[in-house]
Amino acid sequence: MLEFLKKIYSREDNSRTKANSRLRLVLTHDRLDMNEKIMETLKGEIIELIASHMEIDGVPDVRLITEGRHAALDISIPLKGRS
Amino acid sequence: MENGKPESKVIVVTSGKGGVGKTTTVANVSTSLARMGHRVVVMDLDIGLKKLDLILGLENRVIYDIIQVIEGECTLKQALVKDKRFPDLYMLPAAQTRNKDEITPEQVKALCDELRPDFDFIFIDCPAGIEQGFRNAIAAADDAIVVTNPEVSAVRDADRIIGMLESAGFKDIKLVVNRLRPDMVKQGDMLSIDDLLEHLCIDLLGIVPEDKNVVISTNRGEPIIMNNRAVAGTAFTNISRRLLGEDVEFPNFEDSSFWDRFKLLGRNLFSSK
Repeated sequence: MLEFLKKIYSREDNSRTKANSRLRLVLTHDRLDMNEKIMETLKGEIIELIASHMEIDGVPDVRLITEGRHAALDISIPLKGRS
Repeated sequence: MENGKPESKVIVVTSGKGGVGKTTTVANVSTSLARMGHRVVVMDLDIGLKKLDLILGLENRVIYDIIQVIEGECTLKQALVKDKRFPDLYMLPAAQTRNKDEITPEQVKALCDELRPDFDFIFIDCPAGIEQGFRNAIAAADDAIVVTNPEVSAVRDADRIIGMLESAGFKDIKLVVNRLRPDMVKQGDMLSIDDLLEHLCIDLLGIVPEDKNVVISTNRGEPIIMNNRAVAGTAFTNISRRLLGEDVEFPNFEDSSFWDRFKLLGRNLFSSK
Protein backbone atom coordinates (compact mmCIF):
# COMPACT_ATOMS: atom_id res chain seq x y z
CA MET A 1 0.00 0.00 0.00
CA LEU A 2 2.80 2.34 0.94
CA GLU A 3 4.63 1.44 -2.29
CA PHE A 4 1.46 2.16 -4.25
CA LEU A 5 1.01 5.56 -2.64
CA LYS A 6 4.66 6.36 -3.21
CA LYS A 7 4.27 5.51 -6.86
CA ILE A 8 1.21 7.72 -7.27
CA TYR A 9 2.89 10.53 -5.41
CA SER A 10 6.15 10.36 -7.36
CA ARG A 11 4.28 10.16 -10.65
CA GLU A 12 2.67 13.49 -10.03
CA ASP A 13 5.79 15.04 -8.71
CA ASN A 14 8.59 13.64 -10.86
CA SER A 15 10.50 15.81 -13.28
CA ARG A 16 9.36 13.90 -16.35
CA THR A 17 5.69 14.68 -15.62
CA LYS A 18 6.63 18.30 -14.97
CA ALA A 19 8.56 18.48 -18.26
CA ASN A 20 5.60 17.06 -20.17
CA SER A 21 3.10 19.52 -18.77
CA ARG A 22 5.42 22.49 -19.35
CA LEU A 23 6.10 21.36 -22.91
CA ARG A 24 2.40 20.86 -23.66
CA LEU A 25 1.67 24.46 -22.75
CA VAL A 26 4.70 26.05 -24.35
CA LEU A 27 4.38 24.14 -27.64
CA THR A 28 0.71 25.01 -28.03
CA HIS A 29 1.51 28.68 -27.53
CA ASP A 30 4.61 28.56 -29.77
CA ARG A 31 2.69 26.96 -32.61
CA LEU A 32 -0.06 29.57 -32.47
CA ASP A 33 2.30 32.42 -31.73
CA MET A 34 0.23 33.49 -28.74
CA ASN A 35 0.40 33.53 -24.95
CA GLU A 36 -1.77 33.09 -21.89
CA LYS A 37 -2.61 36.82 -21.80
CA ILE A 38 -3.94 36.89 -25.39
CA MET A 39 -5.96 33.78 -24.59
CA GLU A 40 -7.54 35.45 -21.55
CA THR A 41 -8.38 38.59 -23.59
CA LEU A 42 -9.84 36.49 -26.38
CA LYS A 43 -11.95 34.51 -23.94
CA GLY A 44 -13.31 37.71 -22.39
CA GLU A 45 -14.12 39.27 -25.76
CA ILE A 46 -15.88 36.18 -27.12
CA ILE A 47 -18.07 35.87 -24.05
CA GLU A 48 -18.78 39.59 -24.10
CA LEU A 49 -19.79 39.44 -27.77
CA ILE A 50 -22.20 36.56 -27.20
CA ALA A 51 -23.59 38.22 -24.08
CA SER A 52 -24.38 41.39 -26.02
CA HIS A 53 -26.77 39.44 -28.28
CA MET A 54 -28.00 36.56 -26.17
CA GLU A 55 -28.49 35.70 -22.55
CA ILE A 56 -25.89 33.34 -21.15
CA ASP A 57 -27.10 30.73 -18.70
CA GLY A 58 -24.37 29.12 -16.64
CA VAL A 59 -20.60 29.16 -16.91
CA PRO A 60 -19.17 29.77 -20.40
CA ASP A 61 -15.94 28.03 -21.34
CA VAL A 62 -13.41 28.98 -24.03
CA ARG A 63 -10.25 26.90 -24.27
CA LEU A 64 -7.62 25.57 -26.62
CA ILE A 65 -7.74 21.93 -27.52
CA THR A 66 -4.95 20.23 -29.44
CA GLU A 67 -4.78 17.19 -31.62
CA GLY A 68 -1.36 16.34 -32.91
CA ARG A 69 0.25 19.49 -34.23
CA HIS A 70 -3.14 21.14 -34.76
CA ALA A 71 -5.09 23.25 -32.33
CA ALA A 72 -8.70 24.41 -32.13
CA LEU A 73 -10.64 26.85 -30.02
CA ASP A 74 -13.31 25.00 -28.07
CA ILE A 75 -16.12 27.38 -27.21
CA SER A 76 -18.94 26.22 -25.01
CA ILE A 77 -21.48 28.83 -23.99
CA PRO A 78 -24.74 27.68 -22.42
CA LEU A 79 -27.65 29.90 -23.48
CA LYS A 80 -30.85 30.71 -21.68
CA GLY A 81 -33.94 29.51 -23.54
CA ARG A 82 -37.33 31.23 -23.68
CA SER A 83 -39.41 30.30 -20.69
CA MET B 1 15.30 6.67 -63.12
CA GLU B 2 17.48 5.95 -66.15
CA ASN B 3 18.90 2.44 -66.45
CA GLY B 4 16.58 1.38 -63.65
CA LYS B 5 18.87 3.16 -61.17
CA PRO B 6 16.93 4.56 -58.24
CA GLU B 7 16.98 8.32 -57.94
CA SER B 8 19.42 9.87 -55.54
CA LYS B 9 18.07 11.28 -52.31
CA VAL B 10 19.05 14.55 -50.69
CA ILE B 11 18.49 14.35 -46.93
CA VAL B 12 18.94 17.29 -44.55
CA VAL B 13 19.71 16.60 -40.89
CA THR B 14 18.58 19.46 -38.69
CA SER B 15 17.57 20.23 -35.09
CA GLY B 16 17.16 23.91 -34.28
CA LYS B 17 19.18 23.64 -31.08
CA GLY B 18 22.92 23.11 -31.30
CA GLY B 19 24.79 20.29 -29.63
CA VAL B 20 22.10 17.62 -29.87
CA GLY B 21 24.08 15.39 -32.23
CA LYS B 22 23.32 16.46 -35.80
CA THR B 23 26.88 16.07 -37.04
CA THR B 24 27.37 12.79 -35.17
CA THR B 25 24.16 11.50 -36.78
CA VAL B 26 25.19 12.64 -40.27
CA ALA B 27 28.67 11.16 -39.89
CA ASN B 28 27.51 7.78 -38.64
CA VAL B 29 24.44 7.28 -40.80
CA SER B 30 26.36 8.22 -43.96
CA THR B 31 29.36 6.05 -43.03
CA SER B 32 27.06 3.16 -42.31
CA LEU B 33 25.28 3.51 -45.68
CA ALA B 34 28.64 3.72 -47.46
CA ARG B 35 29.77 0.58 -45.63
CA MET B 36 26.71 -1.19 -47.04
CA GLY B 37 27.89 -0.21 -50.51
CA HIS B 38 25.78 2.87 -51.22
CA ARG B 39 27.45 5.89 -52.79
CA VAL B 40 27.20 8.66 -50.24
CA VAL B 41 28.33 12.27 -50.08
CA VAL B 42 28.06 14.46 -46.99
CA MET B 43 27.85 18.21 -47.39
CA ASP B 44 28.84 20.35 -44.41
CA LEU B 45 26.79 23.54 -44.48
CA ASP B 46 27.84 24.72 -41.03
CA ILE B 47 30.00 27.37 -42.63
CA GLY B 48 32.14 29.19 -40.07
CA LEU B 49 31.67 26.49 -37.41
CA LYS B 50 32.58 23.27 -39.16
CA LYS B 51 32.75 19.99 -37.28
CA LEU B 52 31.96 17.23 -39.75
CA ASP B 53 35.56 16.85 -41.01
CA LEU B 54 36.73 16.41 -37.42
CA ILE B 55 34.01 13.91 -36.46
CA LEU B 56 34.72 11.87 -39.59
CA GLY B 57 38.48 12.07 -38.95
CA LEU B 58 39.08 13.70 -42.33
CA GLU B 59 40.36 17.09 -41.12
CA ASN B 60 43.87 16.55 -42.49
CA ARG B 61 42.65 15.69 -45.95
CA VAL B 62 40.69 18.87 -46.64
CA ILE B 63 42.10 20.99 -49.46
CA TYR B 64 39.24 23.04 -50.85
CA ASP B 65 35.87 23.99 -49.38
CA ILE B 66 32.30 24.59 -50.54
CA ILE B 67 32.75 28.38 -50.88
CA GLN B 68 35.73 27.88 -53.17
CA VAL B 69 33.61 25.58 -55.32
CA ILE B 70 30.81 28.14 -55.47
CA GLU B 71 33.23 30.96 -56.27
CA GLY B 72 34.82 28.89 -59.02
CA GLU B 73 38.28 28.57 -57.46
CA CYS B 74 38.13 24.80 -57.87
CA THR B 75 35.79 22.19 -59.30
CA LEU B 76 33.31 20.27 -57.20
CA LYS B 77 35.24 17.03 -57.83
CA GLN B 78 38.49 18.63 -56.59
CA ALA B 79 36.85 19.72 -53.34
CA LEU B 80 35.33 16.32 -52.51
CA VAL B 81 37.36 14.49 -49.86
CA LYS B 82 37.37 10.73 -50.26
CA ASP B 83 37.22 8.61 -47.12
CA LYS B 84 39.91 5.94 -47.46
CA ARG B 85 38.17 3.60 -45.02
CA PHE B 86 34.93 3.63 -47.01
CA PRO B 87 35.49 3.86 -50.76
CA ASP B 88 31.90 4.99 -51.38
CA LEU B 89 31.98 7.92 -48.95
CA TYR B 90 32.86 11.50 -49.88
CA MET B 91 32.70 14.77 -47.96
CA LEU B 92 32.27 18.31 -49.21
CA PRO B 93 33.89 20.45 -46.48
CA ALA B 94 32.49 23.70 -45.12
CA ALA B 95 34.64 26.84 -45.08
CA GLN B 96 35.81 27.86 -41.63
CA THR B 97 36.64 31.53 -42.14
CA ARG B 98 33.51 32.54 -44.02
CA ASN B 99 29.85 33.14 -43.19
CA LYS B 100 26.62 31.25 -43.68
CA ASP B 101 25.07 34.17 -45.59
CA GLU B 102 27.78 34.09 -48.24
CA ILE B 103 25.92 31.33 -50.07
CA THR B 104 22.35 31.12 -51.30
CA PRO B 105 19.75 28.32 -51.43
CA GLU B 106 20.03 28.38 -55.26
CA GLN B 107 23.78 27.69 -55.08
CA VAL B 108 23.23 24.74 -52.74
CA LYS B 109 20.54 23.41 -55.09
CA ALA B 110 22.94 23.68 -58.04
CA LEU B 111 25.63 21.76 -56.14
CA CYS B 112 23.19 19.01 -55.22
CA ASP B 113 22.03 18.73 -58.83
CA GLU B 114 25.64 18.32 -59.88
CA LEU B 115 26.16 15.58 -57.24
CA ARG B 116 22.92 13.65 -57.85
CA PRO B 117 24.05 11.56 -60.85
CA ASP B 118 27.05 10.17 -58.94
CA PHE B 119 25.50 9.44 -55.56
CA ASP B 120 22.66 7.46 -53.99
CA PHE B 121 22.52 9.65 -50.88
CA ILE B 122 23.46 13.27 -50.37
CA PHE B 123 23.42 14.21 -46.68
CA ILE B 124 23.36 17.84 -45.64
CA ASP B 125 24.69 18.73 -42.19
CA CYS B 126 22.57 21.74 -41.25
CA PRO B 127 23.83 24.43 -38.87
CA ALA B 128 21.92 25.14 -35.65
CA GLY B 129 19.46 28.01 -35.78
CA ILE B 130 16.61 29.08 -38.06
CA GLU B 131 18.40 31.71 -40.13
CA GLN B 132 20.08 31.78 -43.54
CA GLY B 133 22.17 28.66 -42.83
CA PHE B 134 19.00 26.67 -42.17
CA ARG B 135 17.32 28.00 -45.31
CA ASN B 136 20.37 27.07 -47.39
CA ALA B 137 20.43 23.58 -45.91
CA ILE B 138 16.77 22.72 -46.55
CA ALA B 139 16.54 24.27 -50.03
CA ALA B 140 17.71 21.27 -52.01
CA ALA B 141 16.55 18.50 -49.68
CA ASP B 142 13.98 15.86 -50.60
CA ASP B 143 13.65 14.60 -47.03
CA ALA B 144 14.36 15.90 -43.56
CA ILE B 145 15.56 14.24 -40.36
CA VAL B 146 15.15 16.13 -37.09
CA VAL B 147 17.52 15.22 -34.26
CA THR B 148 16.57 15.99 -30.68
CA ASN B 149 17.51 15.11 -27.10
CA PRO B 150 14.98 14.13 -24.43
CA GLU B 151 15.02 17.54 -22.75
CA VAL B 152 12.60 20.44 -22.88
CA SER B 153 14.78 23.02 -24.65
CA ALA B 154 15.77 20.65 -27.45
CA VAL B 155 12.15 19.51 -27.91
CA ARG B 156 10.88 23.08 -28.11
CA ASP B 157 13.45 23.93 -30.80
CA ALA B 158 12.72 20.69 -32.64
CA ASP B 159 9.03 21.59 -32.67
CA ARG B 160 9.79 24.99 -34.20
CA ILE B 161 11.99 23.38 -36.85
CA ILE B 162 9.31 20.79 -37.69
CA GLY B 163 6.81 23.63 -38.13
CA MET B 164 9.19 25.45 -40.47
CA LEU B 165 9.93 22.28 -42.45
CA GLU B 166 6.20 21.63 -42.82
CA SER B 167 5.61 25.16 -44.10
CA ALA B 168 8.45 24.59 -46.57
CA GLY B 169 6.52 21.60 -47.92
CA PHE B 170 8.38 18.69 -46.30
CA LYS B 171 6.34 15.54 -45.77
CA ASP B 172 7.24 12.50 -43.65
CA ILE B 173 9.73 14.32 -41.47
CA LYS B 174 11.58 11.76 -39.36
CA LEU B 175 12.74 11.98 -35.75
CA VAL B 176 16.00 10.75 -34.22
CA VAL B 177 16.16 10.85 -30.43
CA ASN B 178 19.78 11.07 -29.32
CA ARG B 179 21.32 10.62 -25.86
CA LEU B 180 18.40 8.79 -24.27
CA ARG B 181 19.06 7.53 -20.75
CA PRO B 182 16.62 4.65 -20.19
CA ASP B 183 17.54 4.46 -16.49
CA MET B 184 16.46 8.07 -16.00
CA VAL B 185 13.24 7.56 -17.97
CA LYS B 186 12.46 4.63 -15.71
CA GLN B 187 13.05 6.74 -12.62
CA GLY B 188 10.67 9.38 -13.98
CA ASP B 189 13.41 11.91 -14.56
CA MET B 190 13.62 12.00 -18.35
CA LEU B 191 11.13 12.41 -21.19
CA SER B 192 10.40 9.03 -22.76
CA ILE B 193 10.23 8.19 -26.47
CA ASP B 194 6.43 8.12 -26.22
CA ASP B 195 6.45 11.56 -24.57
CA LEU B 196 8.57 12.97 -27.41
CA LEU B 197 6.37 11.43 -30.10
CA GLU B 198 3.28 12.81 -28.39
CA HIS B 199 4.73 16.32 -28.40
CA LEU B 200 6.35 16.37 -31.83
CA CYS B 201 3.86 14.17 -33.75
CA ILE B 202 6.30 12.88 -36.38
CA ASP B 203 7.53 9.37 -37.18
CA LEU B 204 10.39 7.85 -35.25
CA LEU B 205 13.48 6.91 -37.25
CA GLY B 206 15.90 6.06 -34.48
CA ILE B 207 16.69 5.99 -30.78
CA VAL B 208 20.33 6.46 -29.80
CA PRO B 209 21.06 5.75 -26.14
CA GLU B 210 23.61 7.81 -24.26
CA ASP B 211 26.93 6.04 -24.82
CA LYS B 212 30.34 7.16 -23.65
CA ASN B 213 31.84 5.35 -26.62
CA VAL B 214 30.65 8.30 -28.73
CA VAL B 215 33.12 10.61 -26.96
CA ILE B 216 35.90 8.05 -27.38
CA SER B 217 35.17 7.59 -31.11
CA THR B 218 35.02 11.33 -31.64
CA ASN B 219 38.38 11.75 -29.90
CA ARG B 220 39.85 9.25 -32.32
CA GLY B 221 38.08 10.54 -35.43
CA GLU B 222 36.48 7.16 -36.03
CA PRO B 223 32.74 6.90 -36.57
CA ILE B 224 31.05 5.02 -33.71
CA ILE B 225 29.55 2.49 -36.14
CA MET B 226 33.07 1.03 -36.50
CA ASN B 227 32.83 -0.07 -32.87
CA ASN B 228 30.42 -2.98 -33.13
CA ARG B 229 30.13 -3.35 -29.36
CA ALA B 230 28.81 0.17 -28.85
CA VAL B 231 25.03 0.51 -28.44
CA ALA B 232 25.12 3.91 -30.16
CA GLY B 233 26.89 2.32 -33.13
CA THR B 234 24.14 -0.28 -33.48
CA ALA B 235 21.53 2.47 -33.16
CA PHE B 236 23.06 4.49 -36.03
CA THR B 237 23.36 1.37 -38.20
CA ASN B 238 19.68 0.66 -37.54
CA ILE B 239 18.81 4.20 -38.65
CA SER B 240 20.60 3.59 -41.95
CA ARG B 241 18.77 0.32 -42.46
CA ARG B 242 15.42 2.02 -41.82
CA LEU B 243 16.34 4.71 -44.36
CA LEU B 244 16.79 1.92 -46.89
CA GLY B 245 13.25 0.80 -46.17
CA GLU B 246 14.11 -2.12 -43.93
CA ASP B 247 11.72 -2.79 -41.05
CA VAL B 248 14.11 -2.79 -38.10
CA GLU B 249 12.46 -3.28 -34.73
CA PHE B 250 13.03 -0.64 -32.07
CA PRO B 251 14.65 -2.16 -29.00
CA ASN B 252 12.68 -1.48 -25.86
CA PHE B 253 15.28 0.53 -24.00
CA GLU B 254 12.89 1.17 -21.17
CA ASP B 255 12.64 -2.53 -20.47
CA SER B 256 14.78 -3.23 -17.41
CA SER B 257 16.23 -6.50 -18.71
CA PHE B 258 17.68 -4.65 -21.69
CA TRP B 259 19.08 -1.94 -19.51
CA ASP B 260 20.69 -4.50 -17.18
CA ARG B 261 22.29 -6.23 -20.14
CA PHE B 262 23.53 -2.89 -21.43
CA LYS B 263 25.09 -2.08 -18.07
CA LEU B 264 26.63 -5.54 -17.91
CA LEU B 265 28.10 -5.11 -21.38
CA GLY B 266 29.51 -1.75 -20.35
CA ARG B 267 31.09 -3.30 -17.28
CA ASN B 268 32.61 -6.13 -19.34
CA LEU B 269 34.05 -3.68 -21.83
CA PHE B 270 35.48 -1.63 -19.03
CA SER B 271 37.16 -4.54 -17.28
CA SER B 272 38.54 -6.04 -20.49
CA LYS B 273 40.40 -2.83 -21.38
